Amino acid sequence: MIKALGYFIEIIKGSIITTRHFVVNMHFHILKVLGFKTKRKGAVTIQYPEQKREIASRHRSLHRLMKRADGKPRCVVCMLCVTVCPSECIYVEAAEDPDPEIQKYPSIFIIDLSRCCFCGFCVEACPEDALRMDTGKIEFAEYSREDMVYNLEKLIE
Amino acid sequence: MINIFIDDKPFKVKEGTTVLKAAEEAGIAIPHLCFHSAFPPEGSCRMCLVEIEGLPKLELACSTQVREGMKVSTRSEKVIEARKGVLEFLLAEHPPDCPICDKAGECKLQDYYEEYGLFDNRFRESKEKKQKNVKIGKSLILDQERCILCTRCVRFLRDITKTRELGVFNRGLHSEINTYNGEPVNNNYSGNLAEICPVGAITDSDFRFKTRNWFLKEGESICPLCSRGCNIYIESHKGFARFPVPKRVYRIKSRENHEVNGFWICDLGRYGYSYLDEGRLDKICVNNGKGNLTWQECVVSLTDEIKKLHSAKKASRIALILNLWLSNEELFLIKKIFVDDLGVKNIYFVDSSGGETDDFLLTSERCPNKRGAQEIGYDLKPLDSENLMNKTDLLLIFGMPAYDPNNLAEIKALFENVKTKIYFSSHSDELCSLADIVLPTALIPEKEGSLTNVDGIVQKFLQVLEAPGECRPEWEVFVDLGRELGININYYKQFNTPEVVLKEMRKEISFFENKSE
Amino acid sequence: MNELIIILIKIICALVWFLLLTLYLTWAERKESAVIQDRIGANRASILGIRIIGLFQPFADAIKMIFKEDFTPRFSRRFLHTLAPFLSFFFVAITITAIPFGDVLKIGKQTIKLQILDINVGLLFVLAMLSLGIYGIIVSGWASNNRYALVGGMRGAAQLVSYEVALGLSLVGLIMVFPSLRLSEIVHAQGGLLFGFLPKWGIFLQPLGLLVFFFAALAETKRVPFDLPEGENEIVGFFTEYSGLKWGLFMMTDFMEIIIVSALLTTLFFGGWQVPWLAADGFHFPWGGQWLLPHGIVVLLQVLSFNMKVIFFCWLQILIRWTYPRFRYDQVMDLGWKLLIPLSLVNIIGTGIVMSF
Repeated sequence: MIKALGYFIEIIKGSIITTRHFVVNMHFHILKVLGFKTKRKGAVTIQYPEQKREIASRHRSLHRLMKRADGKPRCVVCMLCVTVCPSECIYVEAAEDPDPEIQKYPSIFIIDLSRCCFCGFCVEACPEDALRMDTGKIEFAEYSREDMVYNLEKLIE
Repeated sequence: MINIFIDDKPFKVKEGTTVLKAAEEAGIAIPHLCFHSAFPPEGSCRMCLVEIEGLPKLELACSTQVREGMKVSTRSEKVIEARKGVLEFLLAEHPPDCPICDKAGECKLQDYYEEYGLFDNRFRESKEKKQKNVKIGKSLILDQERCILCTRCVRFLRDITKTRELGVFNRGLHSEINTYNGEPVNNNYSGNLAEICPVGAITDSDFRFKTRNWFLKEGESICPLCSRGCNIYIESHKGFARFPVPKRVYRIKSRENHEVNGFWICDLGRYGYSYLDEGRLDKICVNNGKGNLTWQECVVSLTDEIKKLHSAKKASRIALILNLWLSNEELFLIKKIFVDDLGVKNIYFVDSSGGETDDFLLTSERCPNKRGAQEIGYDLKPLDSENLMNKTDLLLIFGMPAYDPNNLAEIKALFENVKTKIYFSSHSDELCSLADIVLPTALIPEKEGSLTNVDGIVQKFLQVLEAPGECRPEWEVFVDLGRELGININYYKQFNTPEVVLKEMRKEISFFENKSE
Repeated sequence: MNELIIILIKIICALVWFLLLTLYLTWAERKESAVIQDRIGANRASILGIRIIGLFQPFADAIKMIFKEDFTPRFSRRFLHTLAPFLSFFFVAITITAIPFGDVLKIGKQTIKLQILDINVGLLFVLAMLSLGIYGIIVSGWASNNRYALVGGMRGAAQLVSYEVALGLSLVGLIMVFPSLRLSEIVHAQGGLLFGFLPKWGIFLQPLGLLVFFFAALAETKRVPFDLPEGENEIVGFFTEYSGLKWGLFMMTDFMEIIIVSALLTTLFFGGWQVPWLAADGFHFPWGGQWLLPHGIVVLLQVLSFNMKVIFFCWLQILIRWTYPRFRYDQVMDLGWKLLIPLSLVNIIGTGIVMSF
């Protein structure tokens, strides 16, 4: 019985907490509707498509391929990204570059974003800093899966 | 036998061996780059330095012979320090090319650096610029910057092929491997150079940049391209989840077997693997209008044909054209079913002799199992179509991989003459549209069995690749056929694997009796 | 003839009130939970770009539900599967007939009772209809032919039957105090004063009864602390196999139950349409003052008072739903059989003892 009473007190406490939240937030909402300026708002919501939150500098967004000074891709097709990718979404094919200092360049570089889990391992693995995930683009939904497969031209821009 | 101590543990070794070999036999790896068991020790890389008690300086393990009571330590601080020093000097001129180097992942220098070094470059001088893309042979590309001058390639061409195309030129910092007067490496064993190079200095243009070697799965097999039966590794790629790779097999490497091929294989076997992926037949084709058939239905209808002829005492109207890519077990099963059970006499063989030969490994027979067929008891008759014309109702023909028969017109004429033609083939070729039923078969790396090489050595091979589509190994088909025919059902019931067939062969054929592997 | 028209108008008005309140209760639930959780809540539904804090949301939801595929699984019992949501809906919707919204409205010579049917066993009628609602749940669970749905339905039936006992017993004390089962009479009886100033509401006469009734009624609505029949993370619930409008009917039934429970609480324990110290001709304050008002205003005040009380209890129930986690099944049964029923019995005995003096 005493135990049940203890529960009862906790139940009351819980409802006091939610009621407090309700009353305080309602207070600020009403002040806002009435046109008063307040230090804080009634809700922490960010109204997404109109308001956008600033992306953190470490955020892993859409991939991009870096370029050399002459515009060629920096990638040397070491395939470490392919190796490390846990979702097997990267495919690279190499071709022989006439420049013996470069030797290997990607003729095909595909990232299947519909499969990508954005772990960023590929970026960490890249020895040439050729692949980065710092575009800040996070809205690349498409209507078909084929459109989610990004090729060299799409990644390098 | 003498006693030595390696890392304070006593071992008994043969007199006259070197410290390196003794240690290797004892299971202690001593790092080495220039040493290769096929050649006498050179001692140019200095990686195998070990400490021997009583000697003032570190000694080369690859060239020091063992003595009674010798005490070797391979892990002492001094040795490790020396290895680090050697590595640092080797890497002073070695470019950090690993991301684009085909050897990365199987490079000894890389492994040793990982094991002993992981130090930063202390040299402030820039690395020497050398040529990075020298074509030194029909499929060999030399990167002089990556070369550590172990001279394995020079020694291979000097000692094994005796053609001596490569040499070391200039001195000191400027020494480099090159060809004499631009004369390229041109022999049938040049592919071995890329394999024995401990770093990525010599790369193979056939494999160059195609993939990275850690994606490849290594499978032990036997080269079927000539009757030598060289031991090989087949390296295949299983592809990625969403992106299939264009082919399965990327590279053939030699497998050490001193009874057959030593350390080497020829270029024909090394580069002639495209037949494994190109032009494969992976579906049963039925051209006589019976619609789509499964393997079981095909075997049943074939059995019915044979039974009809057999019960009408017309077994002589069955003819077989075999090839010599069939394994010992398959040839044995064919002999059991067609010769012993049915009494078929018209068995002919596709002639595949007359290829180029050299006096090292390559033989003139472009098929792996001629000796096996002889030992099983066939008298390798070449096709005699005159003899078959108007005398044949059922013809079973076995196509060879990538085989372009020079008697195609003869076979075609024979085909028009024969009522039922069953074609077993691994590849789709011209005959596929002419035969009544075309049955896809597995190639040697896709099945199990054994082959008898030109010297009479029986070698087993295991399945290393998945058979594509509906392809089935022939031995399975013949076991099914033997069971379906019902002449000697219990005999065929025991054959679940080729190994059981081989066991039976050992009982029945004296040649195979003492052949263990 | 006249009577019939009046009753029809009353039915239509009551149903419109009931359904509108239900519709906006869904909106209120979303908004209230949002405010409790420092969010904004649904505010996107708009007509021609006009949003007005998401007030069109219920219509958007309704349109979505209507146009969703009405899927009946192949393995279900088709007729019962279709019947179940209507059963549920009907038995809750019909209870509104007995609820008094106000006293009487006099238009000319006509005296209209602001209640659809003033049945002499009104209270029993409401309780009976609410109990019959169990059929909707158990039939839906059975007809779905899905073991999760069946377990949900059985749990629902067990829970409702258990709490039905406590619910009924908790009201016995009340019936003893206001000796009638006619709801309008119970409300009238609460118009008096205690000790000369306190309204003679059920809450002051039957505090323990109120407590038991409130908990039991919460359990009857099968919402969060007591939502075992649904229990989305364990058994998925009796309406697993429902979609579209049929599922919508179950959802609406849930919200209508909240309103009915609130209306019952108001009627039985909080004076129904009574406003403290307001008589038929105006306010008569206990300290002696009075403020006379015309009949129309008084009726309006009464109806308003009833509505405000109902809305307050709806708010309270939503608050409770967004505050507490779900009970375990054995805890629910313990609470019903071992606490609420003994308490209600104690209440009856206590009430009897007090009344006998």
